[in-house]
Amino acid sequence: MASPVVIKKEKVDEPRPSPSADAGEGQTEAEIECRMIELMGEFPKGINDKILETDMPNVDKKVKVAILNRLLSQEKVNIFRAAVTKELFWCLKQQPTSKLKGVDSEEKIVMRIIEEAGNKGIWNRDIRTKSSLNQTTLNKILKALEGKKLIKSVSSVSAAKKKVYMLFNLQPDRSVTGGSWYSDNEFESELVDVLNQQCYRILQQKAEGAKQKPLEGPLIVRNASFLSSKEICQIISDLKIVKFNLTVEDIETILDTLVYDGKIEMSSTTDGYSDGQVKTYRTVEKILSSAGIVRIPCGVCPVIKMCGTVGAVQPKNCVYYDQWLD
Amino acid sequence: MPPFTLGHFSQVCCQLLNHYFGEIVGQVGAYLLRRGHRPLFDIPCATGLSIAEVKKALAVMIQHNLVKFEASERNNNIAEYSIIHHNVYCLLRYPKYLYMIKRIYGTSEEILLEILLNLGQASASNVIFQSANRLKEANDDSEFSDPSALHKSFLKLAQDNFIIRCPKLADNANIQKVPTLEVEEKEKFTVPHLEIGPIAKLLKENATQLGEHGDSEVIWRVNHERFDVELRNVILVNAAARRVDATAGELYHLILKLWRECSNPDSPTTNALSFNVIKDAVRKNEGSSPVLLEHFEQYLRVLYEDTSSLIIRVGDAGGGQFVLNYSTVFENLACATLDSIVLERFGSKALRLFRLTRIQKFMEQDQMQNIAMIPAKEAKMFTYKLLEHNFLQIKELKKGTSNFAPVKSFILFHVDLPQVARTALEASYKGLFNAMVRQMHDLTDNKRLLDKHARLETLLETLRGEGLPEDELAYLSDSMTAAEKSLVARIHSMNDHLTLGQTQADDTILILESYLKFSSMT
Repeated sequence: MASPVVIKKEKVDEPRPSPSADAGEGQTEAEIECRMIELMGEFPKGINDKILETDMPNVDKKVKVAILNRLLSQEKVNIFRAAVTKELFWCLKQQPTSKLKGVDSEEKIVMRIIEEAGNKGIWNRDIRTKSSLNQTTLNKILKALEGKKLIKSVSSVSAAKKKVYMLFNLQPDRSVTGGSWYSDNEFESELVDVLNQQCYRILQQKAEGAKQKPLEGPLIVRNASFLSSKEICQIISDLKIVKFNLTVEDIETILDTLVYDGKIEMSSTTDGYSDGQVKTYRTVEKILSSAGIVRIPCGVCPVIKMCGTVGAVQPKNCVYYDQWLD
Repeated sequence: MPPFTLGHFSQVCCQLLNHYFGEIVGQVGAYLLRRGHRPLFDIPCATGLSIAEVKKALAVMIQHNLVKFEASERNNNIAEYSIIHHNVYCLLRYPKYLYMIKRIYGTSEEILLEILLNLGQASASNVIFQSANRLKEANDDSEFSDPSALHKSFLKLAQDNFIIRCPKLADNANIQKVPTLEVEEKEKFTVPHLEIGPIAKLLKENATQLGEHGDSEVIWRVNHERFDVELRNVILVNAAARRVDATAGELYHLILKLWRECSNPDSPTTNALSFNVIKDAVRKNEGSSPVLLEHFEQYLRVLYEDTSSLIIRVGDAGGGQFVLNYSTVFENLACATLDSIVLERFGSKALRLFRLTRIQKFMEQDQMQNIAMIPAKEAKMFTYKLLEHNFLQIKELKKGTSNFAPVKSFILFHVDLPQVARTALEASYKGLFNAMVRQMHDLTDNKRLLDKHARLETLLETLRGEGLPEDELAYLSDSMTAAEKSLVARIHSMNDHLTLGQTQADDTILILESYLKFSSMT
């Protein structure tokens, strides 16, 4: 006795919903937006039209454009044009947009200009030309932004009255503050002089030490009196004369001034350890102790041009000669 | 005479002529310095002297190699006289010559040179005779009458080219109205055969004049160029000693001697010496220190690797070929001189700016103050001070070619080394002249006092020689008060001070003149 088995046939779901099944209306715009943002997260360098096409081929181009424009206006994405292929790329904006809430569009423009200037800062007049805003409006905006602690003004060392604006939390660039030798926009000549004398003394001591062993020959004596700029930097840092860190480039600028004083000479040698040229320095004696002419008063006389056989300035009654001969 | 102002160099020459030869020669010399080549008849008209005095003055100057004559271009029968500037200037250096000869050789050579400088031009026998006389007087030794040692010294001086033969009358001189003088190249330093016998005889007889002698046609004079070379060598050896150490100075002195023997003195570069030749010379030289012998190669290497271009290595044959290029080494010395002048006049910051501009060739104001690390205000002040005194020069480069708007231009500073050297040289001549004027003024102001003092001293000497008792001498010497005596002492020390100053100014002048001479040769 077998009764026939009846298998109920039920409708089975498709294992994967085919793209054609969900048309544009099925996916909401929010979902498309989320998907786009996900894609931009996957491709941090930016997505272009091709990637969007492969991912959601059925979404209408008009819808995509509308969503992208909305994201742009919400300042969640940035749009770029590739240099070579001239294609358009969109990528997520790095900064959180919450900071710019509460500012209006004019301020936004000014903020963007200042941001682009990076850590070199931008001058008042340049902001005006770039944003083509009114002088008074611009001043009001800048004051408001400064009050909100979003930007700050830094006075440049090259022109004392000129102020450049940059974002609040950025460090000003070396060209604005002048580097290690400027503090409060003033050139610290005493510090430079002190370091100058210190470096010269270090090199002198090295040369003295080298001269103590003349029996080994002059070549050894000469080579032993060389010091490289790195070593000098190390010695000076150990002496702790300056509060901030001195780099090798800083020390090299000081040593260059000594070269131009005629007290030391530089030679470039290749170091066994590092690649490239290493600058080494040693003291040198001038080839002439002093010009003979400066030992008589006429050589350093400030009124030599007025001196003659007649007139107020004559060698016969010259006061400088009187002082010198006593 | 129209009151044209003489240049500084000519003023120095005038002053020297006045000092050493007197007013008349000084006046004639001043006229010739002002006017250049002049025939005989112009000089009395212009100077107001009589023609006999002018003739005598010219004769004296020709005898001392200060004036030369040649046939005028317009009329072959008239002789025109002109000053030999360098020789007049070298009158200042005579004490240096004597000191150098004494240092290199010894006293007898020094006496020979002194006699020759006093006579101007003389034959060898005459010089030897007079020197022997002088030595006899100095030593009070009547037995010293052997002039053959002096003859040897004379030969040595001629061999090393410190003295040179004067040109003699050319063969066709009798035909021309104005005689020409010439001397052959190979005969310039050859001493003719002298007869010592007659000289010795005359010395024994205490004669004062030589009279006729065999070589009276062969006349000698001092070779100024050779002494200049020697003075330059002293400066170079000092530079080497300062740069490395004293032993290096020794080595350099030897090498300079070798170069002089193998090269032409007029060329700006010496001939190349090979390493082996130098090594042999060092070994053979008795005076070399043991340090030099041991580390000879190292010293040579340190010298030629030095940046002051004292020795330049040009090739590898024979272990290394070495030359001296006078123009580079004197450029370095001139730069050191100018640096020293800037340092003393304006200060060390100005020196830094000057050297920076000279080394980097062309610089803008901003670059200068950044690289030199001098505050902006000070840098600007020193730059413009240097510009005012002509140590720096300006070159303007225009940027942009707009026809309407004012064009921005770069202003670059640079150092035109020959120009700055010439300015410094003129200033040195002026300083030297001032020192001489001051010295002359001090001496003439106090002439009466100095004469009185000199008379008193000679009187005391002679009386002391005759054996006068001391208290009488003390009484005589009290005729001058202590204040006067101290004043005289002070005048003498001032005089010495000024002479020393003139010598030092002459050093600077030598370096700058040599630089300009060698840089115009290349």
